Amino acid sequence: MRLGEAFRELWRSGAGKGGLLLLLLLFAGAGYVLATYPLDFGDRTWSNPNRWVDNPKAAAPIWMNRLNATPLPEHQILSIGEPTETKEARAGRIETYRIPFTYNFTEPPTFLAVTLADVTYKERPPLISLSLARPDGNEVRLLRHAVRGPREGETGPFHRYVEDPLRVQLSTDESTITSMQEFLAETFERQVDERTLRGLVDRAAFGTPSEDDELTLTPLTGDYELVVQAAFRDADDKLGQLRFVIGGAVYGYMGTDSLGRDLAQGLLFGLPVALFIGLVVAVVETAIGVVLGITSGYLGGRTDLLIQRAADIVANVPVLPLLIFMLFVIGPSLFVILFVLIAFSWPGLTIQIRAMVLHTRTNALVEAIQSLGSSHSRVMFRHILPQIAPYVVSRLIFAAPSAILAEAGLSFLGLGDPSIPTWGQILEAGFRTGGVYVGYWWWIVPPGLLIVLTALTFMLLSLGLEPVVNPRLRRSR
Amino acid sequence: MSLLRPLALRSLTMIGVFFVVMLMLVLTLGLTGYSDRILTAVVGEQLRAERTSLAETIRDPDQLEKVLKDREKEFAAFYGLDRPWWVRLPGMVLRVMTLDLGEARNLRSFEGSNRVIDIVLERLPNTMLLLTTSLFITASIGLGLGAYMATQAGTWLDRFMSGFAAVSFAIPTWWIGILLILFLSVRWRILPSGGMYSTPPPIEQGERFLDLVKHALLPVLTLVLVSIGPYIYAVRTITLNIAQEDHVTIARAKGLPERRVRNRHILRVAAPPIVTGLIFGLAGSLSGSILVETVFNWQGMGRLYYDTLAGTPDENVIVALTFVFTLMYVGIRILLEVLYVFLDPRVQYLD
Repeated sequence: MRLGEAFRELWRSGAGKGGLLLLLLLFAGAGYVLATYPLDFGDRTWSNPNRWVDNPKAAAPIWMNRLNATPLPEHQILSIGEPTETKEARAGRIETYRIPFTYNFTEPPTFLAVTLADVTYKERPPLISLSLARPDGNEVRLLRHAVRGPREGETGPFHRYVEDPLRVQLSTDESTITSMQEFLAETFERQVDERTLRGLVDRAAFGTPSEDDELTLTPLTGDYELVVQAAFRDADDKLGQLRFVIGGAVYGYMGTDSLGRDLAQGLLFGLPVALFIGLVVAVVETAIGVVLGITSGYLGGRTDLLIQRAADIVANVPVLPLLIFMLFVIGPSLFVILFVLIAFSWPGLTIQIRAMVLHTRTNALVEAIQSLGSSHSRVMFRHILPQIAPYVVSRLIFAAPSAILAEAGLSFLGLGDPSIPTWGQILEAGFRTGGVYVGYWWWIVPPGLLIVLTALTFMLLSLGLEPVVNPRLRRSR
Repeated sequence: MSLLRPLALRSLTMIGVFFVVMLMLVLTLGLTGYSDRILTAVVGEQLRAERTSLAETIRDPDQLEKVLKDREKEFAAFYGLDRPWWVRLPGMVLRVMTLDLGEARNLRSFEGSNRVIDIVLERLPNTMLLLTTSLFITASIGLGLGAYMATQAGTWLDRFMSGFAAVSFAIPTWWIGILLILFLSVRWRILPSGGMYSTPPPIEQGERFLDLVKHALLPVLTLVLVSIGPYIYAVRTITLNIAQEDHVTIARAKGLPERRVRNRHILRVAAPPIVTGLIFGLAGSLSGSILVETVFNWQGMGRLYYDTLAGTPDENVIVALTFVFTLMYVGIRILLEVLYVFLDPRVQYLD
């Protein structure tokens, strides 16, 4: 059967069509990831906590707000661009940045944080202040920061916060709490002691104290403005970057985990990894299985006996405990997993291929070729292999899902390769840190579904290939 | 007797399996230098302890060093560090084979013993309980439904079942377990999320048993859910194939009652391959149980693996566990082979 014909036969069956479409989708996704993600995504991004500090922790996906009766606050990040106003004063220049935004949620933000980066000054450290202009006309100061001064022996111009930016978690910052205390006292005449205010900063910044109760803060919705002021002495002094984060309770398309990692990114990166595992194990395992199977069936005799005994033994080795043991000793590495999976999965195919070869060995074509004096290897791989090729292809596809599932299981036991995030590892993190028991379903359901989807794609393809492999099953049309 | 030969052959294979696993253990421990590293650390630790106690009696530093040097040699000889790993490690395997599994560093049995054998023996029944229960349920439902499905070949129900069986292969067992926890025990609070007994466990025997059943429901359900589809499908296919054979047609032609045809001529013949399916099913769920026990905090062998890996890793326990697991697996397989041979007198393992 020619390739095009086989393809048409595959397309004709529902399972084959579904499998092919899904496979196309998976490969498209994997291609996108390979094109846009760095290869060291695991080390550099995923396992790097600094990368995720500004994300909300364990936040649900953003589309959950369509289902919730009261929408949860969304994550907002404000950055400064060009100053809206520059004022020349006697002591120097004051730049003001006004960034308008809307806050329409009845819940306060989960946290407030600000990050300063790339500050340059010539002589005197600039003074930076951050305040929030609220819809009720009041303004509350959140931060007042003098950039770190020159060290002894250092000469200007001075660069600050270049390598490691200054990050202030306003929700827990002592000076913010104090300034919030002053704000409540001056504007609303409420005396709130420091300890009570701790943990209420976000609520106070985005709310008003209610009439009757000291501590009940009703949310204040509407148009806010973030006001950043920077006071410089010299003309070349400048504030490079400032990021103000209003922590949401929902984030991104897939939510975040308890470290604030964007699950959408991790899940996407897992796709090429899963395909790689599945395909590499399937291809190598099939290659070994076919070579040994044909050799065993065609040569017969002692070679046959040896290969079949070995296959019998290897086929029965309980792989999971052995894998656990080896990964434990050698250390978690994806290549050890691949190696062991390959080393213990060839026998099934070898035994079956041998049986098929025993059948073809005696047919007229092969006997004719043998009598023409062809070498053994030529007969085996030029004449016998093509006859069993469709079966080999279907087995190759069938082998992929079990490798993917095996890797996921090992990752779930905590033996995954930490430098390469996989779906199993995301699940493991969700299970180990107790995400399951507090109902963070967005952390648990999607990675599992992706594993199932990928495995299912290969299952469907191999189901669809059945009529190609086994002509008796072919539908007549 | 002709049955002995195939049995001996199969048993030999399984013993071969056992030795391959042990060989892998030794090679991994030896070639990576892991065993040397661990033993050096152990000796170092003992020497430090020795130094503190000796320093109280021996004042002269030179003499102390000399005594310690001798001590170090003694310890090295005791742990076999003076011999290369290929001499030492086979000895360790032999020792483990006599079920002298050594002692655990951190783990304790519920009774408080730190001997690995005690810990393992305590956990083993729990694993067997989980496995046999789910296997029994799978087998009974699978046999009944499978035989029934054979009469329904080609219907929508049949197509649905084969689809279900195919999907089952693509689903990680443990993930189903997590989903069950997420929905049945966290969201709807119907069943406990893990463990074997409530805390504190009920004292009265009957209540205690009911408590155990309640805790076992989810793990058993998980194991049954993922294995039932393929099993029903296998039983159906085997039964269907045999029902189309000539001897069944002849039996019907002779006018035998349908019941008798089904029981004596179809199911009796179908039994051996079905048992084979069960053998592989059991082997599969033995590995699957490692993960399912982990998910449900079921205090069996599988959870023991997880506990050992999660805390400070303990190589003694890991070696012992891998050994006991393999031993168990090999034992069960040999047992089932015997069963198989007696079920099907036609068995001739062809070379």
